[in-house]
Amino acid sequence: MSTPLTARIVEEHANAFRALPLAGAAATRRRTALAALTASGLPTSRDENWKYANLRPLERLRFIPAPAAQPLAATDLPAAIPGFARYVFVDGAFAPALSAALHSTAAAVTPLAAAPDGDRAPAAMPAQTPAPHAPADERFALLNEAFATDGAAIRVAAHHDEPVRLELVFVASADALTGASYPRVELHLDSQAQLLLIERHMSAGAQASFVNSAVTVDLGRGATLHHYRLQELAARATVFDTLIATVARDACYRLYGISIGAQSARSTLAVRLAGERADLTLAVVALGDRQQVQDIFARVEHAAPGARTEQIFRGISAGRARVAFNGKIVVGSEAHGTDSRQSLRGLLAGPEAEIDVRPQLEIYTDEVRCSHGATVGKLDESMLFYLLSRGLEPEVAQRLLKWVFLEDVVAKIGVAELRRQIEERLAQQVPEPAARAEST
Amino acid sequence: MTASPTPLLAINDLHVSVEGKQILNGLTLQVRVGEVHAIMGPNGSGKSTLAHVLAGRPGYEITAGTVSYEGCDLLALAPEERARQGVFLGFQYPVEIPGVNNVYLLKAAVNAVRKQRGLPEVDAFEFLGLVREKMKLMHIEDSFLSRGVNEGFSGGEKKRNEVLQMLVLEPRLAILDETDSGLDIDALKVVAGGVNSLRSPERACVLVTHYQRLLEYVVPDIVHVLVRGRIARRGDRTLALELERRGYDWVTEEAA
Ligand SMILES: Nc1ncnc2c1ncn2[C@@H]1O[C@H](COP(=O)(O)OP(=O)(O)O)[C@@H](O)[C@H]1O
Ligand SMILES: [Mg+2]
Repeated sequence: MSTPLTARIVEEHANAFRALPLAGAAATRRRTALAALTASGLPTSRDENWKYANLRPLERLRFIPAPAAQPLAATDLPAAIPGFARYVFVDGAFAPALSAALHSTAAAVTPLAAAPDGDRAPAAMPAQTPAPHAPADERFALLNEAFATDGAAIRVAAHHDEPVRLELVFVASADALTGASYPRVELHLDSQAQLLLIERHMSAGAQASFVNSAVTVDLGRGATLHHYRLQELAARATVFDTLIATVARDACYRLYGISIGAQSARSTLAVRLAGERADLTLAVVALGDRQQVQDIFARVEHAAPGARTEQIFRGISAGRARVAFNGKIVVGSEAHGTDSRQSLRGLLAGPEAEIDVRPQLEIYTDEVRCSHGATVGKLDESMLFYLLSRGLEPEVAQRLLKWVFLEDVVAKIGVAELRRQIEERLAQQVPEPAARAEST
Repeated sequence: MTASPTPLLAINDLHVSVEGKQILNGLTLQVRVGEVHAIMGPNGSGKSTLAHVLAGRPGYEITAGTVSYEGCDLLALAPEERARQGVFLGFQYPVEIPGVNNVYLLKAAVNAVRKQRGLPEVDAFEFLGLVREKMKLMHIEDSFLSRGVNEGFSGGEKKRNEVLQMLVLEPRLAILDETDSGLDIDALKVVAGGVNSLRSPERACVLVTHYQRLLEYVVPDIVHVLVRGRIARRGDRTLALELERRGYDWVTEEAA
C-alpha cells in the first residue's frame, strides 16, 4: 500500500541511511521494519482506533532523525528524583553529560547506539519480525524502528533488595522541519526482578518538534514494574507513542500515564497479559486545553487464566481541545477467571471542548468478571453546591473538584517527589486552590 | 419578649416549582433573631425544597414571592454570598467529597466569611485548636480532620459533621434539614447539645424535622407544619407533641 506518505518515508530513509548506524542485525531490522511499514502504510483516520488522532501534521514534518542538538544544561531538566539514576536523551541521542549512571549489580542500561546486538534483550523486540501487515496500532513503532538511532536497552535481573530506580528523560529540541526525535526503550525484567521506572518526554525550548517514541516491555515471571510516564512536551509539538508490553505469569505491571503537553498527542498502549495471574494497573490522566488533541488507545489482552486488569482514565478537556480515551479489553478463550475493571471518566470544562471515553470489551470465554463504567460530564453538581454553600468561591470550588477528579490517578503515584512535580505541572493547567496541598 | 422591628428572615408568599411541578405554594414565615423555629411536615411536603431555596441551590424556579434576610433580598445572592453573610444549611444528605479533606473545607469556609468581613485569614494553629474543641463537643475523633469530606462516614457521622461545621462557622441563621433523622438517642443528644450551644440573642435557627424527638432537647419557640407547600398550622412546642400523638393526617385533612 504505497501512498505519497510512505513513499516519502522510504525516500527520507534512503537519504538518511548513511547517518543511521549500519551495524549488523540493526540494519536488517531497520530494513524489515521499513518494508513492513511500506506494505501496510501508517494508520489513517479511517482505521479503527485512529479516528480521534490528529494525523495531519504527518503531511508536513520530516522523518529523518534530527541533526545533533545544541548541548543542554542540567538546569534545563527537571529536578532529580532522589534515589533514581537518570539517563537523558536529546532528540533521541544519549547525552551522557546530563546523565547520572545507575550503580546496581541487578540492572544494566545500555544506550542502543552502543549496544552490540547480543546485549539487546531478545524478547523485547516484537517488531523484529513484523507481520507483512502489521496491525495499525503498531505501525508507528515500525517507523521508530526504521529511524531510531539510539535509545535505552534495559535489563533487570532478579534481586532481593530494593527495586532498581531509573529515570529516562527524553528531550525534544529540534523543529519538525529539520528532523524527528525517536525515543526508544527496550525493557526486559527477568523473573522476580523489580523496577521503578520514570519515563519523561519534554521539550527544551518551544519548537514544534516531532517525537515518535517506541517502548517495549517484557516482564518475566513474578517481576514487578512500576512505570510512570509523563508527557509534557511544548505546546506546538506532535507526538506519537507506542508501548507494547508482555506480562508473564504472576508478574505485576503498574503503568501510570500523565499526558499534558504537545499540540497533538497520540498514545497507543498494547499490553498482553500472557501468563496466569498477571496483574495490570493502567491509570491515565490526560489534560487538553486550547486546540490540543490528546488521544489514547489502550488495548489489554487477557491471554491466560486468572489475570487482573484495573484500568482508570481521568481526562479534562477545556478550550477547544479534543481528548479521547479508548480502552479495549480482549479476554481470550483461555482466560477464564479474568477480573477486569474499567473506570473511565471525562470532564468537559468548556462549551467548545470535546471528550470521548469508550470502554470496549471482547470476551471469548465464560467465568469472567468484567465491569466497566464510563462517564463524561461536567463537575458533580451536588459536590459543587455543597462547597458553595460553605462560602467557597465558585472558581475555587471548581478547581478543587477538578483536582479531586484527577486525584483518582495522581494519588496512586508512589514516588513522592515525582508526584509533587506532577502536581506542580498539573497545577499550571488546572490551578490548584491555595493551601489545598499544605493542609493535606 | 419584645419583637425586633425587622425579622432576620422574612419569607412572603413564596411559590417554587421544580421541573414544572409546583412544590411551595405561598409559604409565609418570619424568623427573628434569638428564635428557634421548627418546621415539621409529612414526607414530600416541601421542607427540603424550602431549605435548598434558602441556601440558593440551582434548579428551583421561584415563580412568586420574596425572601429577605437582614432586610436584603436573599434570593438575589449567590449561594456562596449567602454563606458568607451567615446563612448555613445543614444538609439532609451531606455530600461526600473524597480528596478534599475536612480541615481544608472548614478553613476555606471560615476564611470565606472572614474575607467578607474584612478580617485576615485565621491563624492555622489557633484554628486547629478551636476545631478540636468543637470536635470534642460533637464526639468526633481526631483522625476525622485529615479524612475526605464525609468520605465513608456513617449517617450519624455525616450529621455530626454538619453540626461541627455550623459550630465552627457560627452562622447568623442556621437551617438544619433533618439533622436528627437516622440518629440514635446518644447521637441525637450530641447534635442537640451542639445546636443549643449556638443559641444566642444574635442568631436564629430553623430546624426542619419529621419527628418531635429532637424538639425535646432543642426546645423551639414556634412550630410550623408544612403541608403541600404551605404552612398549614402554627403553634408552640405542644403542637409538636400533638403531631407525635395524632400523626400528620388530621393537619393534612384540615388543610385540604
Ligand atoms: N429535583 C426534583 N425534581 C422533581 N421533583 C422534586 C425534586 N426535588 C423534590 N421534588 C419533589 O418535591 C416534593 C417535595 O420534596 P422535598 O422538598 O424533598 O420534601 P420533604 O423534604 O418535605 O420530604 C416531593 O414531591 C418531591 O418528589
Ligand atoms: Mg427532606
